[in-house]
Formats: sequence, structure tokens, C-alpha cells
Amino acid sequence: MTEALQYFLTSWLDPQLLGLIALGTFAGIYVGAIPGLSVTMAVSILISFTFSWDIFPALCLMVGIYMGGVYGGSRTAILLNIPGAPSAIATALDGYPLAQKGEAGEAIGISTVMSFVGGAIGIATLAVAAPTVSEFALRFQPRDYMLLAILGILLVGSLSGESLVKGVFAGALGLLIGAVGLDPLTAQERFTFGIIDLWGGISFIAVMIGLFGISEALMQLHHIDKLAVKQAISRIVPSWGAVRKYLPLSLQASAIGVFIGALPGTGGDIAALLAYDHAKRVTKNPEVPFGKGAREGLVAPEAANNAAVGGAFIPMITLGIPGDAVTAIIIGAMFIHGLNPGPMLMIDRPEMFWFIVGALVAANVFMLIFGLTGIRLFVKIVELPRAILIPMILLLSIVGAYAVSNSLMDVYWAIGFGVLGYFMKLYGYQVGPVILGVILSRLIDENWRRAIISDREDLGRLLWGTLQSPLSAVLLASVILIFVSQTPLWGGVGRGLNRFWGHK
Amino acid sequence: MHDKNRKLPGEAAFSLALLVLSLWLTTVAFDISGFEALSAPGSFPMAVTVVLVITSGMIFWRTLRLPAAAHIRNWREILPLRVVGMALLVGLYAMALKPVGFLPTSFVFLAVSIWALGRTSIGYALGIAALSVAGIYVIFRLIFTVLMPEGVVPEREIIAWVQHLLAGGGR
Repeated sequence: MTEALQYFLTSWLDPQLLGLIALGTFAGIYVGAIPGLSVTMAVSILISFTFSWDIFPALCLMVGIYMGGVYGGSRTAILLNIPGAPSAIATALDGYPLAQKGEAGEAIGISTVMSFVGGAIGIATLAVAAPTVSEFALRFQPRDYMLLAILGILLVGSLSGESLVKGVFAGALGLLIGAVGLDPLTAQERFTFGIIDLWGGISFIAVMIGLFGISEALMQLHHIDKLAVKQAISRIVPSWGAVRKYLPLSLQASAIGVFIGALPGTGGDIAALLAYDHAKRVTKNPEVPFGKGAREGLVAPEAANNAAVGGAFIPMITLGIPGDAVTAIIIGAMFIHGLNPGPMLMIDRPEMFWFIVGALVAANVFMLIFGLTGIRLFVKIVELPRAILIPMILLLSIVGAYAVSNSLMDVYWAIGFGVLGYFMKLYGYQVGPVILGVILSRLIDENWRRAIISDREDLGRLLWGTLQSPLSAVLLASVILIFVSQTPLWGGVGRGLNRFWGHK
Repeated sequence: MHDKNRKLPGEAAFSLALLVLSLWLTTVAFDISGFEALSAPGSFPMAVTVVLVITSGMIFWRTLRLPAAAHIRNWREILPLRVVGMALLVGLYAMALKPVGFLPTSFVFLAVSIWALGRTSIGYALGIAALSVAGIYVIFRLIFTVLMPEGVVPEREIIAWVQHLLAGGGR
């Protein structure tokens, strides 16, 4: 216990680490507040510059950006009706009407406090649940890991985009990219086409920078002429009465956020939309109708999306399966620093876990401080001309891709994936599942082979074993359910059930 | 921008290209180890490419049958000139980065792109580019100690000279 506390406080007691968390949180809020610039983009570009660092400072910066970025998206959602990040889509629904009424300051204040509450609950759940989940995960069979990883890709593919088929395609593309190189077990060449440079595989950083940095910057060129709308900001710090009034709702929304965040593959965006829906259902008589400036509609998504941050770390640390795209990138960074997230991490390196929890708490506190104090500065930053911003992002993307291993090959990959990502986004394909696929490719491949070898290459035995284990059976059923829910068959089942209940 | 019930210009061609790519990758995956064993190195790639073929085939079929988007008919709206221009500029920047060096290429890249995208005066673009490159250099090269390609600029000599000068000034 004392040791855990010591590790927890590491980042708090070291001024350099604390400074990096503050810097990361500030940068995260800034990037999150700029429409089109996502947290994933910020983490993926900055991560490449931290490879030469020790793992602790690198983690501090990433954790800060993640926490700040999820919150920062609410700024422009409230002020401009443009969600700075997907997790702030629900925030705009009631936040912007509040700003139109001249209550932008109050809206930002209450969303900041509720984000803090949500963040704190997410982190507390992580601290309490992760050791237990990790212990439980030690009993996982290879087939469970495989199914869980497939479930993660399917969830992110089905919930975050316009169609499951496109999501599955994107996930499979990621799996394929992750399979390029020498086979880890037999050293046989896979998709290398005789090119020695491909033996080590395609750098996941290059893929990430291309898909989240370059392609997003190219997409933003469509909106280069859009002007920022200026808003008057009034009172920011909310009254204690207002906080007390909305606290019960924010606690419920946080619970939704943690749960959704903890599901492999789902993150703050889905959590926020579900929490908004929950707020609509439980608030019987809102002072102002939903969609016209109801404070409940602002509180619920903001608490939920920050609670999802702590939640997303649970599968990442305990199972090595990312909770969303950002945790996928953080897993990649941990691999590069020689760490292997999964149930053994808690046993081999308990300091890492408590260090991350401590850093998240610090980032949450910084988010509250910056959120309530630096508002006017942030409004100014958001108004920075895109004609300057976009070339800077492109430049940092290129330099970032180069910095990983001082290789131009990575830069060309990043540009290639940037162009591919541009067309994918243009035509409604999600890019999130691609990065999840790249990260999970090896895990699925290895666990599939372990599972089938232990069942003597017999598919029937593997299936029988899966059905006999409650956990494996539930995971397999979930995978099948997601598939079926996206087919016309599901609609037919739904109609049939309705008819059945109607007749009764 | 994308409406899932309408197809944009080039969407069918893009989905066809993905289908063709998936088919080709499937043949490559089959060549890795064929049907040797379920745990063979090629099994996972084969399964993945089969999923790619099925899904890209479904996407292509659906896209073909969609009506064209009424509001966007022009290629320019899908692929504005500035997107093509910037993509080319980024490519050129990447190619020049190693032989010419980080400082001059970044300066030229930023100046040209800010000038072209913002339709500003050349002086403004040059000024912002110089300030930005200086800022990035200080943050990433000096503070984060990221190695950037030196190219034609004798950076290390200049830094050593500045350090020498500062040391001399302090004496």
C-alpha cells in the first residue's frame, strides 16, 4: 500500500514530471478546442518526439494531452457549435443554445467542473477495478484474448461510423498492415515483396501520423475560409448551488462513461451520446427543453466523456487491449519503451500502473485549473488562422514521422497513409479501426495460433472448448450479436418481438 | 460531407480500387504458406484478406447502386486544388528534407504554404514562417533533443560557435 502511494505520488513530487503533465493538459485543451484537430492527432504527432525520453516523462505528456483534449472539445462546441472533438458532439446540442443566450461563461464553467467530476470517477474506478480485472485476466485463455480483440475492432467499427461493413473493412486493413514483416514465430516473410526494409514491418507511428495527422490536415483544407465566430464570455466559475444541483446526474453519466470507456474499442464519443440520451430520459421537467439550452444536456455528456478516459485505461493496462484510438497509440508507445501492457504488467511493473493513475489525477486537476482560468486565452488561440495552422501540422507530422527512426521510409509511409486516410474519410470510412487493427494484429495472430495449436489444429475442438467456457462463450456470442445486429435479420427479429408483445 | 445514401464523385472508383487491392493481397497471402496448417504463418493473413475481399465487395456493390449526390457533382469539391497542391508540397518537402536539411526546407515549405493558403503578402508569410521555424527548432531540437536532418546547414558548428561565444562573453 505504501509502495503504491509512493508510485502514485512520483509525478506529483517531481517538478519536471508535474510540469510535463501541466504542459500536456494545456496543449490537449488547446488542440481539443480547435475544430478538426483531434486528441488522437496531437498524441500521435507528439508521441514520435518522445521516443528518446524515459517512459515516465513520455507518459506524463501523453496522459495530459489525452485528458485535456477530451475536455477541450467542449469549448468550440459551446462557443461555435462546432464540436472540437467527436466526444463533444452531444455537448454542442445544448451548449451552443446556452451561448446564444449569452450564458457561454456559465456553460463553460459548469462543463469544466462536471468534466472534472467525471474524470475523477473514471480514475477512481481505474484504481479500484484494474487490479481485480488484471487478476481475473490471468485466467484468460488465448482464445479469449483473440475474441476480445476482435470484439474491440467490431465495436469501434459498428458504433463510430456510418456502417459496420466499412468499419470491419478498416479494421481488417489495420490487421493486414500489422501483419507486414517477418512472422514473429517462424520468421517467414509476409507481404514484404522481397524488400528488406519491410522485414521489420510498417512503423505504426507512420500509419498513425498519416491517418490522424496528415489526412486530417488535408481534410481541414476544405474549411480553410471559415471564419471564427466571436462570443462574449461572462461569469465562468459556477455557483456551488448549480454544482450541487447537477451532481447526481453527473455521477450517473460518469458511471455510463466509465462502463463504455472500459469496453474495448469504445471511447468518449459514444459514452457522451449515451449519457445525453440518459439525461433526456431521467430529467422529467427540465427548466429549459433539451436542445434549447438545458444544462442537464451539457452536464451529462461532459461528465461521461471524461469518465471514459479512466475507463479506457482499464482494458489497456489489464489486458493490453486498447479502450479507444488514443489508448491504442499509448499501447504502441509502451511497446516501444519495452513495456508489455497486459495482466503481467500489474505484477511485473506495479509502479507503472500507480504512476499512470497519479498522472491522470494530476492531469484532471490541471484541467480544472486551466479550464476555469485561461478561457480568454483559449478563445484567442482558437481564432488562429487555419492558413498558418494547417501547414504547421503538416510540417510537424513529417518531422514527427522522420524523428522516430531517422528514416525517410517512415515519412513516405506517413504521406501514403495520409492520402489514403483523406479518401477514406471523404467516402465515409472510419480510420479509428485501422489503428486498432494495427495494434491488435499481433495479439490476435499469436493468440489464434496458440489456441489452435493447444487444440491440436482441430477447429471443432477449439469451438467446443469456446462453448464450454462461460467467458469464451459470452465473448463469442457478443461478436456474433454485433454482426447480426447490423443485418436486416435483426430488424426482422425486432419487428417480430414487437408484434409478439403487442398481441399479448 | 458524406451522406451514406448518396455517392460522391469518385466513390465507386475508390471502392473498386479497394476491392482490386484486396483481391491481389489475397493471392499474396495465399502464397505465404497456402493451406499448410491452421497455425501456419499464412493462415491469419489469409483470413484477414478474405474479410477484406468480402467487405470491399459488399461496399462496392452498395456504392454502385447508390444515386449520385445532387449537391456535389464537381471533382473540385471533392479534391480541391489546394488539397492536391498541399499534398504535392508535402511530398516535395519530405524529399528535400534529408539532402537540404530541416531549417531551409521547413522555412520554404511554411512560407510557400502560408502565402498560398492565406493569400497573404509575401513579407507576412516569410515573417510567420521564420518565427514558426525558430519556435519549432527551439522546442523540438533544443528542448526535446529530436535529431533533425542537417543537410547543407552546418548546424552543429553554429551551435558550438554560439556556445563558445556565450562562454567567452561570460568570462
